Amino acid sequence: MTVEHPALALRGLAKRFDGTVAVAGVDLDVPAGSFYGLLGPNGAGKTTTLSMAVGLLRPDAGSAWVLGHDVWQDPVTAKRLLGVMPDGVRLFDRLTGAELLAYNGLLRGMDPAVVDQRAAELLDVLALGDAGRTLVVDYSAGMKKKIGLACALLHGPRVLVLDEPFEAVDPVSAALIRDILTRYAAGGGTVVFSSHVMEVVERLCSHVAILAGGTIKRVGTIDEVRGGRSLEQVFVEVVGGRTATGEELSWLSQ
Amino acid sequence: MALPVSADVSPATPVRSVSARHFVRLKLRVMGNNFRGQGWRIAMFIGGALLGLWFAAAGFFLFAAPGLAGNGRYAVLIAAAGGGLLVVGWLLLPLVFFGVDETLDPARFALLPLPRRTLVTGLFVAALISVPVLAVLIASSGLVLTAWSLGGWSAGLFAVVGVLAGILLCVAASRAVTSAFATMLRSRRVRDLAAVLLAVTAALIGPLQVFGLAALREADWTRMTGVATVIGWTPLGAPWTVGIDVAQGRVWAAPVKLLITVVALGALLAWWSRSLESAMVGAASAGKAPVRRGVTGGAVAQLFPRVAGWARRDRFGALVAREARYWWRDARRRANLITIAVVGIFVPVLINVTGGDFAAMNDEGLTAATSDSSPVVVTISMLFVGVLAAVTLANQFGFDGSAYAANVVAGVPGRVELRARMTAFSLYVLPMLGVVAVVLSLLLSRPGWIGLTIGALVATYGAGLAVNSLVSVLGAYSLPETSNPFAMNSGAGLAKGLLTLLAMLASAVAAVPMVVAAALLGDAWLWLALPVGAAYGLGAALLGAYLAGDVLDRRLPELLATVTPRR
Repeated sequence: MTVEHPALALRGLAKRFDGTVAVAGVDLDVPAGSFYGLLGPNGAGKTTTLSMAVGLLRPDAGSAWVLGHDVWQDPVTAKRLLGVMPDGVRLFDRLTGAELLAYNGLLRGMDPAVVDQRAAELLDVLALGDAGRTLVVDYSAGMKKKIGLACALLHGPRVLVLDEPFEAVDPVSAALIRDILTRYAAGGGTVVFSSHVMEVVERLCSHVAILAGGTIKRVGTIDEVRGGRSLEQVFVEVVGGRTATGEELSWLSQ
Repeated sequence: MALPVSADVSPATPVRSVSARHFVRLKLRVMGNNFRGQGWRIAMFIGGALLGLWFAAAGFFLFAAPGLAGNGRYAVLIAAAGGGLLVVGWLLLPLVFFGVDETLDPARFALLPLPRRTLVTGLFVAALISVPVLAVLIASSGLVLTAWSLGGWSAGLFAVVGVLAGILLCVAASRAVTSAFATMLRSRRVRDLAAVLLAVTAALIGPLQVFGLAALREADWTRMTGVATVIGWTPLGAPWTVGIDVAQGRVWAAPVKLLITVVALGALLAWWSRSLESAMVGAASAGKAPVRRGVTGGAVAQLFPRVAGWARRDRFGALVAREARYWWRDARRRANLITIAVVGIFVPVLINVTGGDFAAMNDEGLTAATSDSSPVVVTISMLFVGVLAAVTLANQFGFDGSAYAANVVAGVPGRVELRARMTAFSLYVLPMLGVVAVVLSLLLSRPGWIGLTIGALVATYGAGLAVNSLVSVLGAYSLPETSNPFAMNSGAGLAKGLLTLLAMLASAVAAVPMVVAAALLGDAWLWLALPVGAAYGLGAALLGAYLAGDVLDRRLPELLATVTPRR
């Protein structure tokens, strides 16, 4: 096993869009077997960073390695090790859940029999079997997240990169997704996910990085980053949010 | 902080009431902000306005013709038929071509405490602020001129009132119908169906026009005037004929027709006001499709439709199966297939069978006028069909939108991707092309030419696939993520249309050898065309996939970025 390689390594990743800097040089080492939370406010550059890390968006500078394989020099190997669930990206949603899984499995070069078996299991565990012939476009937001996760898991990746897996998901589905991710990490897989839900990150993650304004502000194990306080306090302090209002909105109390 | 909640919770009365003026100013402001710093948008707007003015001028002279000629014989005909067409056009054109001007989307007002009457009047008045309304105003002022010159100032005055009422009717009708449609189209299934129906209508407009013109040549004008008089008593024609009626001495008709118009207007506004509410609420819920059951077989077996059942269960097969399903399930793609089918049949038939002579067609039926056609003409018309079919793929990645990310993440090799897309599309198009070839040969009563037609079709189609796969990799653009298959990103249209035109031109040039061969080789070509054409098309398509696949491999993320719609 390539123990010496981090599961995901980013060096100096940077991206500008039309003159505005979205990500200004991100360095990150995700140890293999860790459960890594990428925290940040809206517009911090989480999606941009993760997209560059998995080969969806070409960086202006910097590079990314998955278990020692360069995502931009040797994409085939790197992508084989990766399972990805992008956010704000449509699935091929004119397919049913089962068809979508079969498509993704065959696209990854898997054996049809294995695809059939795993797809059935995933649909069953994620409680999507009832949807039957419903097209994914008609799924609810939570169901779409779950089928997206199933697509990312299907080929048994070593590293799982999830963008906002808990966004717009009801508590029941969220608990299910959490369970599956915990089991995946316990089995030796690495999970990297972005979120701005503190409770989930505090509960799940072994490591955390806080991203704001396109750069990493804090990084380390969750206890290092917390330093005895609650994650939310640290986060608000780092991001520089405003916590109290004085007299300005006095008319709100009638 | 917490104060006791008092029983008196009636909201403060607004200081100023909202009137239509606010809506007009809001619309002008939104339009203005759209232009800010976007030179090309201003240019597009001016271009559109000039086009509108040009049509307006043409309409003006049509409507004014009886007055300018001083001849009242066809005045009613022109006013009723022209005005009626205007109203029908206002009803249908937004649905088919332009999309509705949603500068002020009713859904945006859902949370504001506005009485429905204020909202309807406001939106109605705001809808009047537009280039098309101005164009119709200019055009229909021709009617005023006609009425004035035929019947003096009183007739002219009535015509002014009538024309203004007619324009109000146009706008109200258009708003009411689109709003009702919006409610109806909330379910995706109905929307897809409507989209297909509209596609058929749109594709038929061209051929129908030709037949319409042919029919006009034979028309009996006296009978048409009778029909026009009847139309003049319906809301379609009533407002436009008021002035003419006064001019021709039927003064009593004028108030009755104005009454008809006002009643129709009121009914439309009431209808609009009712459907507006559901349109406002409707934006929040997308509706739920019924759960389809009856799952058979494993996931892989479900993915492959029967049409792609032969494919191997591997990467290539999965791509073909998914594309084949998409050509059927995605309304936007299906609309394209239907266009190919309709245009592919009509254009060659028009070119070859009618030979531009519609009289022959009317008198002796379709099969009579065959003698003009030659192998070269047939080949050229087939060239057109093949090019048209292939150009559908010019933005094949745009159809996928951001969903294409799945293929990028999986790292699909470009050549496999392009070959699979060509194959899946051909599953639908090749049978269609076969039908075109057979139908045309039968219509020409030259069954021996089937080889020639199929050969030309396949060669052009294959060359077109090659050109368009390169275009689709290099010149892709994003399509808006709506369910309306006709929606385009405004402004992008012109440049992209140019690109499409270039792709068609290049495909046609690539297929020119077939025309040359048809011209030079004579009868031997009738036999050679099929094998040579098939080999030429297949070779071109494979070469195209090979070359464009290489380019695609190097720009996967860039392609994904260009087809992802901006939000």
